[in-house]
Amino acid sequence: MFVVTSAASAAAALPSPNFLGNRMVSPAIALAFLPLLLTLIIRYRFYFVLFYRAVLVRSWKDCVTGLSREERAYQYVLTHAIPGDPDSILEAFDIWCSKVEFISNIGPKKGKILDRLLMEQSPLTVLELGAHCGYSTVRIARALPLGARLYSIEMDQRNAAIAEKIIRLAGFDDDTVELIVNPSDEVIPRLRSDYGLERLDFVFMDHWKKCYAPDLQMLEGSGLLGKGSMIVADNVLFPGAPKFLRHIRKSGLYEWKVHRATLEYSKGIRDGMAELVYLGIK
Amino acid sequence: RERHRAKRRDGDREKKKRRKGRRRRASRAGEREDELQARHEKREAGRRKRAKNYQESEGRERDEEEQAQIKTGKTAKTKKNIKNEKTRKVEQEEGEAEERNAKGKKKHGSAKKEEKDEDGGKCAAKEKTQEVKKKKHKRKGADTLNSLSPEELEKLKEAVDERKKLIQGLRGKPWSMKKKLVTLRESQEFVEKYEGALGKGKGRKLYAYKVMMAKKWMKFQRDFENFKTACIPWEMKIKEIESHFGSSVASYFIFLRWMYGINMILFGLTFGLVMVPEALMGRPYGSIPRKTVPRAEEASAMDFAVLWDFGGYAQYSVLFYGYYNNQRAIGWLKFRMPLSYFLVGVGTVAYSYMVVIRTMARNANESGVGDDNSFNFSWKTFTSWDYLIGNPETADNKFASITTSFKEAILEEQESRKDDNIHLTRFLRVLANFLVLCCLAGSGYLIYFVVRRSQKFALDGLDTHTWWERNEVNMVMSLLGMFCPMLFDVISALENYHPRVALQWQLGRIFALFLGNLYTFIIALMDEINLKREEEKIVKFNITTWEASLYNSTVSENSTGPPITIQPADVPRGPCWETMVGQEFVRLIISDTMTTYITLLIGDFLRAVLVRFLNYCWCWDLEAGFPSYSEFDVSGNVLGLIFNQGMIWMGAFYAPCLPALNVLRLHVSMYLQCWAVMCCNVPQERVFKASGSNNFYMAMLLVILFLSTLPAIYTIVTIPPSFDCGPFSGKKRMFDVIQETLESDFPAWFSKVFSSASNPGLVLPFILLMVLAIYYLQSTSKSYKEANVELKKKLQTQNEENKKKNKRAALKAQMDLEEARKAASQTADSSQRLYHGKNRRNPPAPVREQGLPATRAPVPRNYHHGNHGAPGYLPGFPRQSEPRMHRVPSLQRH
Repeated sequence: MFVVTSAASAAAALPSPNFLGNRMVSPAIALAFLPLLLTLIIRYRFYFVLFYRAVLVRSWKDCVTGLSREERAYQYVLTHAIPGDPDSILEAFDIWCSKVEFISNIGPKKGKILDRLLMEQSPLTVLELGAHCGYSTVRIARALPLGARLYSIEMDQRNAAIAEKIIRLAGFDDDTVELIVNPSDEVIPRLRSDYGLERLDFVFMDHWKKCYAPDLQMLEGSGLLGKGSMIVADNVLFPGAPKFLRHIRKSGLYEWKVHRATLEYSKGIRDGMAELVYLGIK
Repeated sequence: RERHRAKRRDGDREKKKRRKGRRRRASRAGEREDELQARHEKREAGRRKRAKNYQESEGRERDEEEQAQIKTGKTAKTKKNIKNEKTRKVEQEEGEAEERNAKGKKKHGSAKKEEKDEDGGKCAAKEKTQEVKKKKHKRKGADTLNSLSPEELEKLKEAVDERKKLIQGLRGKPWSMKKKLVTLRESQEFVEKYEGALGKGKGRKLYAYKVMMAKKWMKFQRDFENFKTACIPWEMKIKEIESHFGSSVASYFIFLRWMYGINMILFGLTFGLVMVPEALMGRPYGSIPRKTVPRAEEASAMDFAVLWDFGGYAQYSVLFYGYYNNQRAIGWLKFRMPLSYFLVGVGTVAYSYMVVIRTMARNANESGVGDDNSFNFSWKTFTSWDYLIGNPETADNKFASITTSFKEAILEEQESRKDDNIHLTRFLRVLANFLVLCCLAGSGYLIYFVVRRSQKFALDGLDTHTWWERNEVNMVMSLLGMFCPMLFDVISALENYHPRVALQWQLGRIFALFLGNLYTFIIALMDEINLKREEEKIVKFNITTWEASLYNSTVSENSTGPPITIQPADVPRGPCWETMVGQEFVRLIISDTMTTYITLLIGDFLRAVLVRFLNYCWCWDLEAGFPSYSEFDVSGNVLGLIFNQGMIWMGAFYAPCLPALNVLRLHVSMYLQCWAVMCCNVPQERVFKASGSNNFYMAMLLVILFLSTLPAIYTIVTIPPSFDCGPFSGKKRMFDVIQETLESDFPAWFSKVFSSASNPGLVLPFILLMVLAIYYLQSTSKSYKEANVELKKKLQTQNEENKKKNKRAALKAQMDLEEARKAASQTADSSQRLYHGKNRRNPPAPVREQGLPATRAPVPRNYHHGNHGAPGYLPGFPRQSEPRMHRVPSLQRH
């Protein structure tokens, strides 16, 4: 439409006083924009689908059921999964997210990468930022070695309640998973004093994309990261955390790479998961 | 010994050894007179070096310790001559030898050195004598040439030839780089020194002079080449783009530059031979009706809107066909204006044909090696990197694209074996083509509709309609030309082709689209020409009546008075269709250019600005995610360029200003697009090499050239020119100008010859001859091609044979080695020999391994090789015999 407006402004200088009148643009010119429209629709179809599923369906269901999205997901999982079996819970989540509605969990494909990293690392102290409704918490806790402990931080009260239920449903007790209901920027400075942590072996970030960079800097400042600590951040390309990427590129504190994948429960939207290994301050 | 030496001389790779050996020999034999002069020199050089070292080391010997001194000597030497690593080593050893003083003497150093070692106190004196000797030798090197005997000269010549040969073949030698450099420098020095000495008597000086001049000439040529490259316009810009975006994007800019060159020549022709003579020597503006703005238009002739549409004063100027007069010769030069106009029109087209075809032929020669897909992975491994990339981001992209291409190739390979998805792919390709066809048909219909409507508007009179309606055709054509390629691009994602193939498909589709648009436009123009010609008839009739009435009135009123002078602006005139066609083309070019630039500014620049600066306050990553920066659209830009050129070729006859406009446009777009690419585009995700696509562009250009000259020639040949405008007015056809010139400007015999030459009896055999020649040439080239393919096949089979042979030999050697090892272990452990021998005849392997702990490690590996190599040599196969086992140890000893 830019072309039309700019051309119109150019045409304003021309001697056609009533061109703003009855027929501004002839139908043929409007028809010539049809290919552009089609192109945009086809090229960005995945985004439209995502918009439909994540926004339209969600608000419609919110109005109809009066429950939040997470509560609906919990209901589904409760009715379709076997209690005490993390695998079946994860599977139920996946089915719900791909068939019914959309929740931005880590998803099965990127989850496999996460599982592999956890297996290789076998960390003893894990910090998770952003539990949401407990999918990734269960996923991480499932892959942890014996005696390891997972601290999961969730800001939202209602989501945290659901996450708690899901975690307990999967059969993980307080010794394995500790859920902290607070914003991450408040919790991270107090981790050492309040929770007696000395070192974090593994950090998984999946909360607000804008908080990635400040939280990472806070972690660096707190001294909890030791040499070889691994940090994994989801969704660094879509919705994307450019500041975070810029920081890790420039700081030189990390050995990093981005695992390219697609957005969870969607085929055409490219996304990436950043894997960082802390090298320590030289 | 002599024979030995000769052998060594042949084998260049033995050089180092030779030097060492010679030294050794020299220590034994002293200076032998039968040594070659070359050898002399060489040894001399080596000795000089060594001597220098000695000077240094000896100087410090008094106050410093031996080892340290040697080290410093070494470092000093590294600066002076990187050349002789070997000597350096020798030197060090010698230093040690000075301490130990026994072994070293035997090993290295010439006789003199040994002497020196022995009487260390007198070394200073010795040094001097050595220096003297050195000088003597040096002099000998320069002066003794005069006193050389013919045999010596012959030998020297031989040595020089040898060195030259060495320099030539140095690149292929399997040496380390350092050694190569050292050898090269030494040989070059030698050749330089003695090359001049090879002439005889008086000719020697001349020869030296000649050699020197040849060298200077070479240097000049090299400098001139550099200068020439520096003179190529925009070379640095294009190289920079190439380094950032890979060669496919650069190929567009190279094409653009080439096009610019051609347009410069077209512009020179039309400007120098048509526009300037008419402006300088033709009748001035306002002298005759065709050179004057009519009375009705005078009021608005200078308005910007009118000028922008190339009406008013722009229409009645040298820019268009109608302004030119049909006067046969103009000015004091008697410049034949109509003839020149016609010949320039024909010449531009002929020149374009020549250039395009010549370039195509050259490109075809360059890419003569056929693309065979037989070594897909080897090609991918060894040729996929684009060495012109100089930008880390692009290199990353290229790396990623190579990896993906490998993945895809492997997948393809698997799929071609699996063969189940092929139907889906085929279906998708057919579907994509169907969609594209629908799109083409739709756009064609839309243009047709718009053109029909515009004709209706034209009948109504243009003033009653808005600007939009008047410019509807151009707008719709530009918009469709802009958006349909995008749609094709999206559709082509269905087809899953390799990007190079995809680019060609895309180009073909856009080509079809543009061609359709262009031809619709031409058909509409033809309709309009016919309308104008009918109008012309009426006007012609009216004019005769008008003139008659004028004369009648003047005659009736005052028959004796002077004839009334009528202002040329008041004379009624016909609708000059040629000028109309020219105007249409110029308008089309202008609107097309505007659309291109506006798209560039909005689609690329504005988008880049938005993405860049909105990214700070947006909820997702704009740069990596959804809108991102745009990629450079090679296919669209190339086709835009080609069609633009087509329109120039079509319209240049009726609007001589078109080449000038095009030169301007190309110049601006060169800078603008270079800037836009560097500032707001990102490298393509799948960077691919553009090799071979250049000829594709050229082929398209040729097609367009042909298709665009067709209508132009058609109009020139079939439609009579307007009666009152243009250089051919008053003639029946435009090409009558040639006949006229032949009749009036050339002697009579020439026209006779011409007419007799143009009679069918002569022309037909000539054409026949030409066809025959073309056929002959084509068949020979075909046979050459076949021979090429045959040779290639032969080479391949030979290679395979060699490989097999090598493999067999290697396998055999390996077997032998294995056996030898076993034999060795057997002899070592004779108690187990019987057991082992028994085992060897029995196939089961594990037992053997148990029995032979010493050979355990290599055995499994050999198994492996055996399994992969020749199936006949299976490990357990009872094939070996006792004598072989005995023979093998001797092999090992070798």
